[in-house]
Amino acid sequence: MNRQTKEACLGLLLVVPMIVIIGGVGVFIGYDKGISFGPLLMFGGTVIAGGLIWLVPFISSRIGKPEEKVSFDERDLLIHKRAVMAAYVVLWLYFVAACVIPWCVVGPQGSISVNIMPLALLGGLIVFTLAQGLATVVQYGRGGDDAKD
Amino acid sequence: MPKTEIQNRIRRLRFDHGEMTQQQLADKARVTRQTIIAIEAGKYAPSLPLAFRIAAAFGVPLEDVFQYTPNGDPPSD
Repeated sequence: MNRQTKEACLGLLLVVPMIVIIGGVGVFIGYDKGISFGPLLMFGGTVIAGGLIWLVPFISSRIGKPEEKVSFDERDLLIHKRAVMAAYVVLWLYFVAACVIPWCVVGPQGSISVNIMPLALLGGLIVFTLAQGLATVVQYGRGGDDAKD
Repeated sequence: MPKTEIQNRIRRLRFDHGEMTQQQLADKARVTRQTIIAIEAGKYAPSLPLAFRIAAAFGVPLEDVFQYTPNGDPPSD
């Protein structure tokens, strides 16, 4: 298991639950106390920071110190790019579903709470992280098996 | 993952060069061992700079390491 696979597994097992817990607490506080800036900023910060996690390998490959032993190369970067692309496709499908499903459920004349919107944003972040992690693990699983020398 | 149309003789060349290990080749080409494994197995087609680095690691021309076969058939040695 190389660094990228470890990061993907970490994303699936640690980052997603962390986002759910922190975001959920933020939304709950905001909902319970009435909308105020504190929980809103906390929630927004979580979503923005979580949404930018996928940039880390690109940035570290550009500005990181060259290590003696290579742990991230062009193939890893290609797999990461494909995973991000797959995650964006899934995110788009999620966005379409989030737009259409409420319309189907409540009907053209219906109305929904605006509290759904930040929750939908949080859901988008979770879906993106999950899709990216799964795409990474699947790609390494298919082509990253160790072979004998 | 489908095999690429780029065939290679990396495994043969490694053994011809003092049974060089995949890790040693990876260190010389500045990539991970997993990438060498994927290239050897034909699951990943390397970039042009990496292909040249691998050829340079063996001290042979690029075409001695990689061969293009349009229908994916293995090249005749």
